[in-house]
Amino acid sequence: MEDAVTGKMIDGLLPAGHDVKFSEIEAAFARLAHDRRRRRAPARALIATVIVVGPPEQLIPAAEAIEHIGDVGVRAILISEGNQTEPVARVTDNAVAVSGLAPGYLNNAVAALRLSSLPAAVWWRGGSTAAFADIAELADRLIMDIDQPDDLWSAAVRLFDRTALTDLRWTALTRWRAALAHLFDLPNVRRSAARLKTVMINAADGPSGRLFAGWLRSSLPWPSGATISIRVTHTQHASPLECVTLECDGPPITLKMREGRACFEATAGNSSESGRIVPTEEMSLSSLIGEELGVRTRDLAFERALIAAREIRA
Amino acid sequence: MTAPQNSGANPLLDGLRIEPTPAPTALVIFGASGDLTRRKLLPALYHLSRAQRLPARFTVVGVARSEMTDDQFRDQFHASLKEFGDVPKPDDLSAALARRLFYVQGEMDDTALYEKLVAKLKTCGAPDGVLFYLAVPPMVYGTIADRLAAAHLTEPQNADGWRRLIVEKPFGTDLDSAKALNQRLHKYLDESQIFRIDHYLGKETVQNLLVFRFANGMFEPVWNRRYIDHVQITAAETVGVEQRAAYYEGAGALRDMVQNHLMQVLALVGMEPPITFSAESVRDRKLDVILSMQPFVANGDADHVVRAQYTGGWVNGAPVPGYREEAGVSPDSTTETYIALRAYLDSWRWAGVPFYIRTGKRLPKRTTEIAIQFRKPPLHIFSRVSPTPISPNLLIVNVQPDEGISVRFEAKLPGTRMQLAPVMMNFRYGSAFGRPVPEAYETLLLDAMLGDATLYARHDFVEASWALVTPIHHAWASPTAKAPATYEAGDWGPREADELIAADGRRWRTL
Repeated sequence: MEDAVTGKMIDGLLPAGHDVKFSEIEAAFARLAHDRRRRRAPARALIATVIVVGPPEQLIPAAEAIEHIGDVGVRAILISEGNQTEPVARVTDNAVAVSGLAPGYLNNAVAALRLSSLPAAVWWRGGSTAAFADIAELADRLIMDIDQPDDLWSAAVRLFDRTALTDLRWTALTRWRAALAHLFDLPNVRRSAARLKTVMINAADGPSGRLFAGWLRSSLPWPSGATISIRVTHTQHASPLECVTLECDGPPITLKMREGRACFEATAGNSSESGRIVPTEEMSLSSLIGEELGVRTRDLAFERALIAAREIRA
Repeated sequence: MTAPQNSGANPLLDGLRIEPTPAPTALVIFGASGDLTRRKLLPALYHLSRAQRLPARFTVVGVARSEMTDDQFRDQFHASLKEFGDVPKPDDLSAALARRLFYVQGEMDDTALYEKLVAKLKTCGAPDGVLFYLAVPPMVYGTIADRLAAAHLTEPQNADGWRRLIVEKPFGTDLDSAKALNQRLHKYLDESQIFRIDHYLGKETVQNLLVFRFANGMFEPVWNRRYIDHVQITAAETVGVEQRAAYYEGAGALRDMVQNHLMQVLALVGMEPPITFSAESVRDRKLDVILSMQPFVANGDADHVVRAQYTGGWVNGAPVPGYREEAGVSPDSTTETYIALRAYLDSWRWAGVPFYIRTGKRLPKRTTEIAIQFRKPPLHIFSRVSPTPISPNLLIVNVQPDEGISVRFEAKLPGTRMQLAPVMMNFRYGSAFGRPVPEAYETLLLDAMLGDATLYARHDFVEASWALVTPIHHAWASPTAKAPATYEAGDWGPREADELIAADGRRWRTL
């Protein structure tokens, strides 16, 4: 297929794609599908649209992550904000990038490009907060993923009744939360935690530490006077947390990254029988977003955690 | 911010995407040095651990006749992960799990073994929720149950303790033996504690049958005699008896495949909608199907059943011997390696709709599928311009190896002429969701630990199934019974199977 336009497309984004006018995107998809059939390439069942909104430098890794999810049949729509009313688009078999779109048209673009009758997940990697609120109307799921999330979290709290929200940090914390929750299956751990004094979190990422603390604050019966302390230790590693300690009357409850970083350990006191070794698993963007694509429902535990996290400082 | 009020005993489980784990469990595996344990159970435990589905307190005690220490059992665990679990070398996770593995050696009928087991459970600090897994030959099921009861191992020691028992197939060899075994187990355990495993029910696509039928509004209205012409269920294997000749000689395809796996699959296809997705509700409706099935034997003849044995042939690019030439098989064996049968259900939904089942060893392909063939349209209005007969609509549920669902329908061939051709619309489980499908044993082990018996066979289903199958064996044992037919290894079965279905004006699907 010949490129129809040569505009200002982001370098490195969908490098195998063809540049077309916005109005020609659907026709381009149809031509590519026809080419695919001629090549006898296997067809894939499509299950969702993933819309990624963010600055150009955030779109390239997102596109690569979606490509690496595996055989999941999704159409990816990658949009960077700008001031264009007639933006340039680049199309591949199952993705389209739209460069420099004026924020006011974001929801129109998504409405035109999303697959009908299938869920749409918005992966928000940056952009105007107003557009974020607008796009909530079109999203079955809104996944936040920005470095400084305070303003976005404030906007998100107002959207809880309109769509299912989450933060990709919450996904990365799933195993940490599960490990602690499984320790709480043991009655002696629950009894001990009822006399919680301090939660100490050593986090590689401040907002992740706050979100984890917010989850504990909103989930546990919180004794009066119990405190939360979060220390941020910047590391090169992908894990959101390094160590979590719940100081109680009895022995501490601890989650701690193990040497080698392939696993972390969950222990209650010194009892080895109740300890768990938990694989940290891959924390790549593709694995995190791949996990999120399997979720459709509103996550009340996340919503409560987010409300609590906004009040907690790292 | 206050904690949610209705979050159960563990406040942190609320909203957790990883499902709650079972209560503290000690898994006691009888037959711990055997093939099933090495190939399936130990890798399943590792993968459950990786998925954080094992409880915080979890202990495995292996029991077998082989001499082994705890450490040697742990070495066997690592070896089985390497060979069958895709874990090339021990990692932190397998090392942590291995530390919870223990071993007890002894003869299954020796009371001393059970004394050692009691002592081992105590010394290793095992929790009081105990799941016994009988991965041993079926003739010792009853003995083990007797000995466990005599050693008070079937009774929990405290209020939050529990006892469950998983029994592998075959569950009995005929109706009488199945009833006797049920009665023997029920002496010590009630039905809610007994889990009769059928690994077919742990397969993702088999479970998806329930979702496909009862979570979609468009299929159920046509899922009946008015629209469905017939159903074909095929379970084809390319392998022969391999190392299982001793077992297979006494079993045959009818006991090995039809009485359990294929009856379960047929029940899922034929069942009425359950009121809820609960173990008893689902199993009640499945039982209705088996109870509504017409007997296969009338006047001493099993006319609706064809049995056959494979002779030498060529499979997967290599010559293979006939069944009677296999090591461990009697040269005049009459054990069937192939079954084809026609079943009818006496119910409003299915009256007059034949269910054809075929299963065999040394067939050309390894595949298991359910094919629902719909009736043809009442009138072929295109016959003048497109005289080729219309292919009836077909809905195919691929159980293995390529799990998915396909629908065949007629479409117009592109062009100026009105020409019709059948096309397939395919949904592939693996590629649509892009996530690995868990092994059946992972699902089933976890369900048993959680006490969920939905995917396990209930005593009355097992007995009802044997009540259908046992008369066939009796008919075959008659001096006037026809000898098994034969088919060449690498063929799709004997001529008699083709004749069975051809007598109804139909034919087996080409796979």
